[in-house]
Amino acid sequence: MSAPTPPVKRFDDGSGRVKKDESRRGFLYFTPQKRRPSLYEELTVDTQPSPQRHLRGGWLISFADGRGTHSLGSTELRVKDWFDWRDPEGLWERPFYQQAAQAAREQDAAVASARSEGLFARIDEQWQAFLRSSLQLPAFYEHGLWRALCGASRPALSDSLTHAIVLEAAMKQRQAQDLVVYAMDLEAEIGECSTEAAKQRFLEEEAWQPVRALVERVYSVHDWAERVLAANLCIEPLVGNFLRREMLLVPASANGDPVTPVIIGNAQREWLWVREWTVEFVRFCLDDEEFGEHNREVLARWTQTWNAEAEAAAKAVAGELDRVPRARPADEALEQLRRERDEVQAALQSKEVAA
Amino acid sequence: MTKTHERIGQLGWEPTHHKPVSNYPTRYTFPKKAKDPMKQIMREYLPMQLEKDERMYGGFDAAVRANMATKAERRWLEVLKPFVHTTTYIEGCAGRVMSMLMDTVPNHELLNGYHVQFVDELRHIGMQQSLARWYTKNAPEPEGWAMGAKYYTGSPLTKAGYNMGTHCIVGDPLHCGLTMMAVLETAFTNIAFVALPDVGVRNGDFTLPTTYSSAQSDEARHISNGYATVLTLLQESSNIPLIQQDLASGWWSTHAFIDPFAGTLIEYFSKDRSDQESYLQKWDRWVNDDYYKSFIEQLGKLGLNMDPAPFVAARDRIVNGLIHQTAIFSFAIWPLAYWRFDGLDERDFEWFEARYPGWYDEYGPLWEGFNALKHPSEQALLLQGFLENSPPLCWSCMMSCLGDAEPLHRVVDGRTRFYCSEMCKRNDVDYPGRFTGDRQFFDKYHGWDLADVIRDIGFLHPDGKTLVGQPHIDDDKPLWTLDDIAACGCEIVSPNILTAERLGLPNGSWHDPSTPDGGVATGELGYVASSIGGDGLETGPGVRDLDGKGNGRKNLGGVVL
Repeated sequence: MSAPTPPVKRFDDGSGRVKKDESRRGFLYFTPQKRRPSLYEELTVDTQPSPQRHLRGGWLISFADGRGTHSLGSTELRVKDWFDWRDPEGLWERPFYQQAAQAAREQDAAVASARSEGLFARIDEQWQAFLRSSLQLPAFYEHGLWRALCGASRPALSDSLTHAIVLEAAMKQRQAQDLVVYAMDLEAEIGECSTEAAKQRFLEEEAWQPVRALVERVYSVHDWAERVLAANLCIEPLVGNFLRREMLLVPASANGDPVTPVIIGNAQREWLWVREWTVEFVRFCLDDEEFGEHNREVLARWTQTWNAEAEAAAKAVAGELDRVPRARPADEALEQLRRERDEVQAALQSKEVAA
Repeated sequence: MTKTHERIGQLGWEPTHHKPVSNYPTRYTFPKKAKDPMKQIMREYLPMQLEKDERMYGGFDAAVRANMATKAERRWLEVLKPFVHTTTYIEGCAGRVMSMLMDTVPNHELLNGYHVQFVDELRHIGMQQSLARWYTKNAPEPEGWAMGAKYYTGSPLTKAGYNMGTHCIVGDPLHCGLTMMAVLETAFTNIAFVALPDVGVRNGDFTLPTTYSSAQSDEARHISNGYATVLTLLQESSNIPLIQQDLASGWWSTHAFIDPFAGTLIEYFSKDRSDQESYLQKWDRWVNDDYYKSFIEQLGKLGLNMDPAPFVAARDRIVNGLIHQTAIFSFAIWPLAYWRFDGLDERDFEWFEARYPGWYDEYGPLWEGFNALKHPSEQALLLQGFLENSPPLCWSCMMSCLGDAEPLHRVVDGRTRFYCSEMCKRNDVDYPGRFTGDRQFFDKYHGWDLADVIRDIGFLHPDGKTLVGQPHIDDDKPLWTLDDIAACGCEIVSPNILTAERLGLPNGSWHDPSTPDGGVATGELGYVASSIGGDGLETGPGVRDLDGKGNGRKNLGGVVL
């Protein structure tokens, strides 16, 4: 557990009245990260009891194979106190719903506006054809990561980590659904946008198989932290951003599509949150006084493996960009994405991690 | 919306490149087809939840302006400390079991509903923690709230609630899921989130009903998840005996804590006596009619043959005084609680006597005794001599083995485990290795002075001497301190140890100070070797072979498997 924070200075208001002692009017059972506890900390921390925290007498209920209610062996990573980790953005349910509902509203408003202003008819015809055939393909990728992340949220070893993983999964599910909903809205404007046809391509087309295999592999892994970091440290920076930004966001604007940038803009804003908390999670593991070096080895191994797999998937699907009107060359796009991925992984400072 | 839902349903696929893994083995078989009970899409769901959030948090602000915290009955406000902590933990369990199910259940149709429920549960955690924070800042007495998460698992009264909630996240994920969705949420949220908040309103408390009504509006969907899960599993006949066993097990582990806990709160912490219904009448309405008859019995048409005995037995226990005996036990051990207790008065006595004829003759003297010992200058406690005559605590549910008959027991590894009921015994026997840790609160403290026990659990004001728990809510009366407790000379004894001795049974203690967690049946401990893989297994000397390949665990101590 962290060391106690210094006392908060209090000033006399000069009224001469005896002030009531308000020092007990807060949650005092955890050490806040800063001088005062944030609202996020008060609502999140210590909602998952543990013998490493306040639970005395050990786990009261165990699995038949001997694992405790939560198992420190559920990940290869080792941390002195998992409950010290905080989401730097401090996301909890209320701001999550505010932001996510806003994203849903923005999409609805963008569709309504495009419809009333006749903008769908002015979308480049090639892009219309691309939307009909390919808009929904990235939705399957998002849906696959959603499933992998959902499974990682139960074994995660602190309440704040579980919160972040569940909220990320909820974003992934909405991002996947946003594309399907947009496809349905588009059908009245540009013709059939079959989800089933997109699914067949995702399941069968050669270029997409490495992407499908990649997300399927994430939920074939037992280790919850490996699932999360494979997704957020290796796959999302390269494959996720390739699909969202390079395949959809950038060319959509160039082709006169006013809605896709709204949908993907929100997804990318959410990615920035994911990136931020993932980098903080990596820092947290590497800076651990007792286990930092062990974690560095584990993370180096994971990133080496998953970078290679993500690279293979990105290369396989990169050819698809040639069919996207006004997209930039795939090699150029991938170069930038690799640089950005390396920035996300910078804390690892290891030459082997780059594929 | 149905069309949208249908299209979104096409996002799922059967993985073929890599086989999905689960960290939670199950005995159940899954059929090919299932139904999505929720038909929930995020663009509909998110604004709906936001609207509910806005109303609820707006209610908090309004309640501050109206100074509601000081208008609510103090007796009621005090007991909300253990109530809110207990429900918040259970919300977390309700979320985590969804993750277990998503890792295990292959039917895509169910996964979306499970996931939406997990997001709901995060909402409920946020709401209920916000409520706790609201009381901390506004209620007359912040002690108990301020260190709540630390105290929650430390008091023998709430530790049993932690035990009950944990049932829903440990074990076969379908056993856990059925316990949460098809028992706790279907049968008991009506008690905890509807009937109990109604009592809150009667006691001038509007923030708790605002919060729990908002949570309850999500529960209908969670109940649907449970129903859809049962319907899906019933398609495979091999699942039927498993459902029957697990549903009965979950029913009992939930009843064994929730009924005495909620019943005590509703009946013994209400200052308002306008409520004509007893807890038993509420139970008949919400649990017997709306759950047992409307849900459990109807499952018979689908091939499930639930034994009515555990349901009948639960009701019988309430009829035979489960709530009243739990209440007086809870009040007697007030120094081990982190909230304040208000003894019953004449109006309360009349209310009880009108609903439970003969109540005063049986329990009245104990309540009179409690009231006579509110002042520290009495230098006496109801607890003195109380534990010597108390029944043992149940190994499984951790509540008292109430009733006149000798408690059921079983000898395991040369020690005696007592059970409050046949079902609690089955919950231990049928699920070996499930119950671990230093479970029986009083075993550890057998022979200790009460003041030292309180010092050890740390339920003290910042002055290091004033107790957080108090036997009165009167700010003009002095508060009990460790010195006052020490002056009583109250020695703690374990009813389990004494009962085993009285019956000539082997050692009734399951405390072992030489183990790291203090339990004889010790659970998983500390950090395991870094060679462990993601499956949590390790190799090497001393491991218990769990997969037939020499992989297992060695950090289990003497766990009884």
